[in-house]
Amino acid sequence: MKSTKITMAAFLFLFSLSLAGQEEITIRIREGMPMIPVAMPGFQLTDKSLPGNDIVSTIYETLWKDLEFSRVFKMVPREHYSYISRFNANAINFKDWASIQANFLISGQLEIAADERIIFSFKVYEVNGARFIFGRNYGGKKEFSRTIAHKAADEMMKHFGEKPLFTSKIVYVSETGNDRDIYIMDYDGFRPTRITYSNALDMLPSWSSNNEKILYTSYRNLTPELFIFDLYSGKTELLSSGGSNYAADWSPVSDQIVFTSTKSGNAEIYLKDMKTGREKQLTFNPAIDTTPCWSPNGREIAFTSQRNGTPQIYIMDAEGSNTRRITMEGSYHDSSAWSPDGMRLAFVSRIANRFDIYVYNLKSNEMSKLTENSGRNENPSWSPDGRHLVFSSNRSGRYQLYLVDYDGRHIRQLTTGSENKMPKWQRLPR
Amino acid sequence: MKKLLFVLVALSLILLFNGCGKKAAKVAPAQAPVVEKVEEPVTQVEKPVLSEEEIFQQKTIEDLNKDETMKKINFDFDQYQIREDMKPILQDNADWMLKFPTVQILIEGHCDERGTIEYNIALGEKRAEAARNYLASLGVNAAKIKIVSYGKSKPLVHGMDEESYFQNRRAEFVITKK
Repeated sequence: MKSTKITMAAFLFLFSLSLAGQEEITIRIREGMPMIPVAMPGFQLTDKSLPGNDIVSTIYETLWKDLEFSRVFKMVPREHYSYISRFNANAINFKDWASIQANFLISGQLEIAADERIIFSFKVYEVNGARFIFGRNYGGKKEFSRTIAHKAADEMMKHFGEKPLFTSKIVYVSETGNDRDIYIMDYDGFRPTRITYSNALDMLPSWSSNNEKILYTSYRNLTPELFIFDLYSGKTELLSSGGSNYAADWSPVSDQIVFTSTKSGNAEIYLKDMKTGREKQLTFNPAIDTTPCWSPNGREIAFTSQRNGTPQIYIMDAEGSNTRRITMEGSYHDSSAWSPDGMRLAFVSRIANRFDIYVYNLKSNEMSKLTENSGRNENPSWSPDGRHLVFSSNRSGRYQLYLVDYDGRHIRQLTTGSENKMPKWQRLPR
Repeated sequence: MKKLLFVLVALSLILLFNGCGKKAAKVAPAQAPVVEKVEEPVTQVEKPVLSEEEIFQQKTIEDLNKDETMKKINFDFDQYQIREDMKPILQDNADWMLKFPTVQILIEGHCDERGTIEYNIALGEKRAEAARNYLASLGVNAAKIKIVSYGKSKPLVHGMDEESYFQNRRAEFVITKK
């Protein structure tokens, strides 16, 4: 096993500072509020004689795309900026920006410092109140300009009472030749980093509760077994033994994992405490029980069972008791993913040999369809803020990863090239 | 004595020039050599008919597997019960294993692509298990059989039609020891 340097460590080089001397205001938005119109004129280089326009545009475009993706902010189109006077950071004409329906205004400035380092400053203004809201400075190496933009976007989310998601990562499986390995990339598909190097099938990765480890299934010892890869030490550890062990999910709130094992002779769901090493069998049924998935509070487990003839979604308490069936219609459901707010379950349903992603609302018991008439769609996973999902689909030929909003809108392809599948989006660190 | 020494030296020289020393060295003739036409009688060698035991002894495990000594079986969509038409194949496989009791095998369970990755691993294992149980019911020692499921990770063919799906829903019998 080669040890891999994870770019995450590089984040430590980044520092963020609140702009001194200016009072910050936090604004809370409520559920169901319309999107907030934000204008963002082009960013400036502090010293225009130095090269750095490419970095300026990378940060600008990345931040723009993040905010546009958020479903929290609505970007005022750039074409409208030409109707008003040019943005001047020293004398902002708020009336102009109000006239093109911008409620907030973001200005940005980039300084090229020594040793290829950059310092990016951004400020956010409320247009109608003609006042400064908050700002941040970020410094780092220039190759982290995308990360700097993502951090700025996260800061926007936090200031508007939303969960940050733009620095979050997605772990997935990429296929090259006959080999399948685990990779990690930014949420927007950039900077893919390979983390496993076995000459066997590595699959079904998931994040540890602190996002520091990847738990996955590998066939490197012939039968499927569970392995843990530590992103910081680069070490790999074999977890399970006896029977086939696969489809593991790490609790979002504790050091417990659930997984499928055939050590009893049949596919059953087990819980393992990573601290004590103790294991507990949760299902006892001669049918197939598989694909366990934790609820966000760690109290319940959704899973797939064929106990009534066909694979259906069930929920049980984390102790294995109080099992109830969730899906009542359709003959094939699997790959549950619990939304971060605990209200919804996303899963795959096969109806008339079409595989689509469905979202089941646990409160209203309503089911909605996220994908339609486009290839086979599999393995949904929620964004940390629950507004988006990542899934795999063969709609364009080979399996690739796609993003979709919670309501089925804005489907966007994330990966190209070799086959990519089984994505799992990071959760917010607890 | 001198003559004998001369002969010995000459002989050793000849041996030196003529690697194997079986033929005497000849001085190259000035004119083109006469080509002698060599003909051999065409012999019809009849291959010996090898018994099953002899084939088993001669072939490597790789060859036995490549030649599909143990035939694969197929399954119905979403199912892991042994089909009636697959039972004779399992009977042949069992007979062969009973004939060669040193053989150990791995049964690989596979699925077609019309299932999820996770559920298909479980379904493939059920298929492999069903095949093992059936062989055991025919007298094969189950301890000689290991099972593994690849789900839909290793399709045999890549078509998107019923025939391809049928071929991919299978259990393969891989000889691991003989």
